[in-house]
Amino acid sequence: MAKRPLSEKLDQLVGLLVRSSSALMVGMFLVVTAAILRNGLSGLSMEFLTTIPQDSGRGGGIGPLIVSTVLVLGICLLVSIPLGVGTAAWLSEFSGSRQVVTKSIQLSLDLLASIPSIVFGLFGMVVFCQKLNFGFSILSGGLTLACMVLPIIIRTVYFGLRAVPGDIRQAGTALGMSQTRILRSLIIPTAMPAIVVAILLGIGRAMAETAALIFTSGYVMRMPESVFDSGRVLSVHIYDLAMNVPGGETNAQRTAFVLLTSLLVINLCASQFSGRWLTGRRA
Amino acid sequence: MRKIIALKFSLFLLLLLELSGCGISDSAERIVPQRLILTGSSTVAPLAAEIAVRFEGQNPGVRIDVQSGGSSRGIADVRSGVADIGMASRPLADDEQDLFSDQIATDGICMIVHLDNPLISLSDEQVKSIYLNEVSNWKEFGWEDAEIVVAHKADGRATLDVFVKYFKLKNPDIKADVIVGDNQQGLKTVTGNRHAIAYVSIGTARYEVENGAPLKLLHSGKIAPTPSTVASGAFPMTRPLNLVTKEPPTGLAKQFIEFAMSAEVHDLVEQQSFVPIKN
Repeated sequence: MAKRPLSEKLDQLVGLLVRSSSALMVGMFLVVTAAILRNGLSGLSMEFLTTIPQDSGRGGGIGPLIVSTVLVLGICLLVSIPLGVGTAAWLSEFSGSRQVVTKSIQLSLDLLASIPSIVFGLFGMVVFCQKLNFGFSILSGGLTLACMVLPIIIRTVYFGLRAVPGDIRQAGTALGMSQTRILRSLIIPTAMPAIVVAILLGIGRAMAETAALIFTSGYVMRMPESVFDSGRVLSVHIYDLAMNVPGGETNAQRTAFVLLTSLLVINLCASQFSGRWLTGRRA
Repeated sequence: MRKIIALKFSLFLLLLLELSGCGISDSAERIVPQRLILTGSSTVAPLAAEIAVRFEGQNPGVRIDVQSGGSSRGIADVRSGVADIGMASRPLADDEQDLFSDQIATDGICMIVHLDNPLISLSDEQVKSIYLNEVSNWKEFGWEDAEIVVAHKADGRATLDVFVKYFKLKNPDIKADVIVGDNQQGLKTVTGNRHAIAYVSIGTARYEVENGAPLKLLHSGKIAPTPSTVASGAFPMTRPLNLVTKEPPTGLAKQFIEFAMSAEVHDLVEQQSFVPIKN
């Protein structure tokens, strides 16, 4: 009897801690969002979203930068999604008993995921800009980002695929389905929510990235004419306005608002999409 | 359901390819534009980018790509041929004398304190004693009893080189409380801390003051930190903003450098808070 109140108190304490930490989390998000909303919303117009920057970004809009960001992100996803899902599928379904290989791949993925992005930037500059001769270009930036988000995508998809119950695989085998067919028709659809999450994490990381892009896709604010042109992305613009341009703060806040809103929209769309996917499967 | 989504996704991919594809074919039809790549100092980059926009306007078919990354990188990129022109916000060092530099503007560097601070000027000796921690309290300058918060630049910054060289200090001897990177960070340190002192570019500090930041630019001895004292050379702590090339500039590079040094861009230099060079 003597022990009970203590354990109850402990429960209460833990409950309180858990609740306050989540409250802190939400609070932090609200503070950041409120600050960006308050400062970024003023003077935001269609014109800001479509015109070219003036006076080092203090005036004008961010039209070309949005186009550059979309192109960099597009190239990044175009490369990283197929490669990422492929590698994860191999690790999860096809590697069989090759424990040493699997373990070393996973170890290298963990290491890659923890490398600071500036290192990817320097790597991208040497490999894509100089060795492959793409120069400062949207292509170089997208490929560098792909290298950076690959470990995240592979890891997340891998865990999603592993979480698919073994019964499903056995059922498929019992029906005489080939391994490819099992993967395509049973496992990947079941793991779809994890794949969507992986892509979202990749998009988030890619859109927030600054350091890896300064040296690869570069600083040029002109409207890109092709993927071989240098193009400044939104996060680099925010960084430059906040750090190097006196009086650039207002437009930095506005750009941050645009970046945050688009991330939010992408997230909402994706959760809608994966929700519909799941109900679609069940029906 | 799945087919529709797959269809939508492939449409999206097609759209992306289309976007990038049409750009490529477009530029292939036109004459391939003449391109010039500049890399280097993050201080010079915004000015160079503005000059580039004007230059492109006057010379259709020319593309000037201005990248950033720091003075040292500009010089390394010129050496390796990655860049046609490097940007450096400092004079060429002794081991860089094989390169060619052209000055497009001057930037003064001054000490700044918070507006609440009654100080008006500091002599060179006083600045030295603060940065060597020989004097560590504002009381000694006749202000309130508070610790002096010393902001110093991070290693490799051009402003730091100018500062250390001017005061004949050794970087390891400097006792700093805050290490800052870019100019804006130095300014924010002082606006946010009544007891801080820092050294920053005069132009950017004046810009912030005009926009209501609670800052004060200190005189160096008796000389006020203004564009005119920087231009005349009376203000002691200054640095050149240079365009650097591996060989004496020719062709498009020469054309651009001459344009950047001409009176045609003096308004842009002033707009970016630097001091144009007038002959």
